[in-house]
Amino acid sequence: MTGEMSRLATVAWLSFRSGLQGLRAVGLAAFAVFPALIVAAIASSHPAASTLANSAVSLFALLTLPIVAMVILLVLAVAQFRTEIDAETLIYLSDRSVARPTLVVGKYLGAVGSSLVFVLPAAVLPLAVASLGGGTAYPASVPGAVAMAAVLATLAYAGIFLFLGLATRSALLVGLLFGFLWEELLPLLPGDVPQFTVIFYLRSYLSGTLTSGPLSGYSGAIDPVAAIVVLVLVAAAFVVLASLVFRYLETAPEKETA
Amino acid sequence: MTGVVDAEAVTKRYGEVLGLNGFSATFSEGITGLVGPNGAGKSTLFRLLAGQLRADAGRLTLLGQPAWGQGEFRRRVGYCPESPALFDWMSGNDFVTTLLRVDGFSRTEAAERCAHAMAEVDLTADGNRRLRVYSKGMRQRVKIAQCIAHDPELILLDEPLNGVDPVGRAAMSALMRRMSAAGRHLIVSSHVLYEVERLTDQIVMIANGQAIAQGDLHRIRDLIDSRPHVIDLESSDPRALGRALSAWDHVVSIEFPEPGHLRILTRSPDSFYATLPELVLAQGLNVQAVRSADDNLDAVFRYLSEERR
Repeated sequence: MTGEMSRLATVAWLSFRSGLQGLRAVGLAAFAVFPALIVAAIASSHPAASTLANSAVSLFALLTLPIVAMVILLVLAVAQFRTEIDAETLIYLSDRSVARPTLVVGKYLGAVGSSLVFVLPAAVLPLAVASLGGGTAYPASVPGAVAMAAVLATLAYAGIFLFLGLATRSALLVGLLFGFLWEELLPLLPGDVPQFTVIFYLRSYLSGTLTSGPLSGYSGAIDPVAAIVVLVLVAAAFVVLASLVFRYLETAPEKETA
Repeated sequence: MTGVVDAEAVTKRYGEVLGLNGFSATFSEGITGLVGPNGAGKSTLFRLLAGQLRADAGRLTLLGQPAWGQGEFRRRVGYCPESPALFDWMSGNDFVTTLLRVDGFSRTEAAERCAHAMAEVDLTADGNRRLRVYSKGMRQRVKIAQCIAHDPELILLDEPLNGVDPVGRAAMSALMRRMSAAGRHLIVSSHVLYEVERLTDQIVMIANGQAIAQGDLHRIRDLIDSRPHVIDLESSDPRALGRALSAWDHVVSIEFPEPGHLRILTRSPDSFYATLPELVLAQGLNVQAVRSADDNLDAVFRYLSEERR
């Protein structure tokens, strides 16, 4: 491994481990099992097998992706910079000889890795619960598409929230506004406006991959491969933007003792 | 100017508050003390030197490089921040090794350098314990370990002795002297002149964001010695400590402001700081922390600041 790659891997591993520490991780884990608990509750009322299977898939689009995954990614991606600046621990990394873009990419990879530890189970566990609870068996493409959508959401939202963590001191608030206003309201508007949201491409991907079931037939959906490309480009663009911001950012905490 | 660190009319604002106000000074080779009361601008200067902040005006260089900038030259600098914050979930060894790896050292070399640095600060036995269980003094020492582990030429220590027990202070002072003797340059900040003065006679005094005196200590010492000095101590048995200290002629008064705390007024802070470690060791007393209340020093800084205008 070359010098810069080794530094990148060290920063990513540090950030990954950091995301899995303390009460925050316990809280996020509890939050991540919430969709599976809802499916278990539905299963306990003994609905028809197809209803149970479909409700688990619908829950992914209605709850897991826009709320559970969004909150997990917001918390973990913002923590990479903003929380560390406020906690005064970022200085141990930023005063090193490592290049600032390497730090940003390493932290992004760490955020993606630690987020997936929570987001993937949040996405896939409800399907497992539905299958074990008497729902119709899913074809292999369904859990595959759901897991892939969770990964794509993680890539894109982690980039956006990492950028917000550097661009504003109110990153959590701005992130919540983005997640619950921008991403929820814009898709309801007519015309091409929904294409300015990440969720549009996630739903396009799901709609194009799952040809039957509650997530198929998303209105205005684009080709799933094109959706993947757009989501990866969004992630890359925000990581580049974050690197540019970090290059000129002062990293002392707001409270200043001189 | 050709010092290890050169500052020329450096200004740093936080909104309407001036952190540094046209600060100019040259820090030479060896150990230099940066002394000033709390809020004088010491940490702002250190944060500028560490590349954490960018100056609004003026010129600031370290080792001939602009302070605001990244790159390989940062490997020639070690920084120990004042804040006690650490990655608490890591062990001491993990913390130091990881930062060495971020600095580009191989796994093997990072482990060797970590072991050496942890031994220098006497933390070898505690290296595998989580940082969250470290005492205040141990946290200070592990911060110094990460700062020296990559063998930098210039070492920036922001209040390194703050809150450290007397024996630990003596050990850390000895470490700083060893590093200086090995050809390293150190800038050590403190609001306690006596601490720094015992390390070096090169001193830059800072108040209100400006360098108000550099080098010559005699006048400053005369001013300080003319005023009684307040020192706060923490101990599990403050009464026993108070009894022992009351035997010293220069101790004017002793108070117990709260449980576990002792406040003394001394006419000779030099003697106090010089002989306290001996007393603690000889009588087996417990002293957890020593702090200089800087009211008296403030008066001296005010005097010097006014004289400068």
